[in-house]
Amino acid sequence: MSERNLPGLSFNEALDQKLAQANWSRREFLGRVAAFGAAAALTQLLIACGQAGGSPSAAAPTPTPQGTTTAEATAPPAPTPVPTPEDKLFVYNWDAYIGEDTVAKFQDKYNIEVTYDNFPDEATQIGKLQSDGKGGGYDVSYPASTWVPSFIQDGLVQKIDHSLIPNLKNLNALWQNPDYDPGNAYSVPNFWWTTGYAWDPRDIPGDLTSWAELWDPSRKNKMSMLDDLRECFAAGAFRLNLSPNTTDLGELDQILALLEQQKPLLRFYTATDQITDMVNQVVEMAHCWSGDWVQMTYDKPRFKYVIPSEGSIKGNDVMIITAGAEHPIAAHLWIDFNLDPEISAASTNYIGYMGPNDAALPLIDDYIKTDPRLNPPQEVLNELIELKYLAPADLAQYTDRWNKLQA
Amino acid sequence: MTSAATPADIDTISAPARESLPRRSAAAATSVLVLPGVLWLAVFFLVPIGIMAVISLGAVDPSGHITLANPGLGNYAHALDPDFIPALLRSIYYALATTILSIGIGYPVAYWISRYGGRHKVLLLILVMLPFWTSYLIRTYAWMVILRDNGVLNGFLLDTGLINEPIPILNTDVSVILGMTYGFLPYAILPLFVSIDRLDFSMVQAARDLYASGRGAFRHVTLPLTMPGIVAAGLLTFIPALGDFVTPSVLGGAQTTTIAKLVQNIFAAGRDWPYGSAFGFLLMGVTLIGTLLALRSLRREVIGAGV
Repeated sequence: MSERNLPGLSFNEALDQKLAQANWSRREFLGRVAAFGAAAALTQLLIACGQAGGSPSAAAPTPTPQGTTTAEATAPPAPTPVPTPEDKLFVYNWDAYIGEDTVAKFQDKYNIEVTYDNFPDEATQIGKLQSDGKGGGYDVSYPASTWVPSFIQDGLVQKIDHSLIPNLKNLNALWQNPDYDPGNAYSVPNFWWTTGYAWDPRDIPGDLTSWAELWDPSRKNKMSMLDDLRECFAAGAFRLNLSPNTTDLGELDQILALLEQQKPLLRFYTATDQITDMVNQVVEMAHCWSGDWVQMTYDKPRFKYVIPSEGSIKGNDVMIITAGAEHPIAAHLWIDFNLDPEISAASTNYIGYMGPNDAALPLIDDYIKTDPRLNPPQEVLNELIELKYLAPADLAQYTDRWNKLQA
Repeated sequence: MTSAATPADIDTISAPARESLPRRSAAAATSVLVLPGVLWLAVFFLVPIGIMAVISLGAVDPSGHITLANPGLGNYAHALDPDFIPALLRSIYYALATTILSIGIGYPVAYWISRYGGRHKVLLLILVMLPFWTSYLIRTYAWMVILRDNGVLNGFLLDTGLINEPIPILNTDVSVILGMTYGFLPYAILPLFVSIDRLDFSMVQAARDLYASGRGAFRHVTLPLTMPGIVAAGLLTFIPALGDFVTPSVLGGAQTTTIAKLVQNIFAAGRDWPYGSAFGFLLMGVTLIGTLLALRSLRREVIGAGV
């Protein structure tokens, strides 16, 4: 990897050096972008860096004297990009799902203007990313890991250049080679979570453990479920001792019947307001993700959360670079920046989700690190189940029942 | 200064001149003026509808892409599942209630502005449109703050001792209809204002002179003459209300799912664009039939009112 081409320098030092070089020719660079397009300009810069550093990147295309002729060589799949001052980056993520000042710090460090857009639910996110088949105009997004195989198959994501993300070494060994994306070739794990429910012990005393609590008629109008068909069907499946990834129509009908019993008791289905509505005491119990609960406790420290005893969902999301990314280098910088121990720990401390970042562990607040609900021991994690990608025909069976439930 | 034409002279001269204008060039001028609008509709309305129509005949292949390999009407049959009727009826109920409330509230307001607004008319109309300066979503969220169990309204009712414990208003039919009425009221007031403002009040005066009571004059003169405005206000409220997605999803709850939410589920969670398109078309058909029926039943009155 080209990291080795920079002996004696940490990645950041090398990068700063390269950026300094780039700044030296920034005006020229921008002019070239305008004249020849980014690919040609990048090649020019790459040559400049190669000359300045004295060691051309091994993975880079053979530098040729004319920028114009190498434009085709740099067409996607992009060869090793060299850190350059792409001055914009388009990121698409959940609301309140990153450190408070991560974006500002990144902008300060790299002088890259970040457009940071949020989506209200996963469906909107996936729809947008798939709208043009290459990422909907965003450079980086944060899908659940279950999407990665189909994104790779559809050519929606581009390969991650590990040489540009030296902080990958910070990942825990368990996350170096995930099933959904061997070797993290197309994705980099971001945070992971469990699903459960939170409640207000002032209204509901005692320790709750079962999914059945969300079906308790005495709490009519005081409960909410996630507006997420997979999560709702999973909750029902665990109560019935079925797999949350079932595609058996009979089993799905059983789950639907159970969810239909629950619906009249619910105040609403939401994937965006579960935190504010618990804090404002609109409901006293909410189906939610582990980090939601942490954010609730900022206002109401007494709130409790449980990973139900019948079993539950664990999941993680990943950072991906879209196939249509216009700022692939800035995107790599962004991912590397988010794997920085301090940045990663600051995010975890702010949003309450644990990441796969071992180097960040010492910097994570104890109350998160030592809470078995947020950082369950491995034997608990092993019991939790990941939601699997559903083929369209199977998903249609879920959607149909979900609509019948909601209608 | 002897040959200065009086306004009456101009009228007598220009009226025949207008008559003698070649019809063809008038028609040509009209088509030129209409062209941008037609083009706009064609590009941004008809083309997307056409794409939707084609997609609605297709299906999703195993890799999740839209395929038109075996076009058919299966998606339409699928969308006609009687299990979805409750959501459709609920949507119609919300839209009707919103329309009736909007006209009921909007008519007196429009009447008052037109009759008693005087030189403040424009200011008052701007005030009606003032909410548009803020995003509809934000205004709808503001209603959440007002309607919550521990919100402004319940707090007021509790403080005044009118109730002993909060009444759940948010996430019910009431909050949805209230939010939609709030949102669509300006669309009702504006056409109502136009028709009331155009009304020649000497007609009402004449009715009164002929011994009509105030109520009688309103029922037999004002109301029929402003019926076009009422119909316009009704359509401008009912049609968007029937397809409204934002208000029910923000102010509604588990029991207030509308047809728009089902369509959204199919597109977003289900990622089945062909089926979603078919569903959307059926909804459009329902709206169109409803509109035509409404217009038909009101046509006599509208035409009677001289439109």
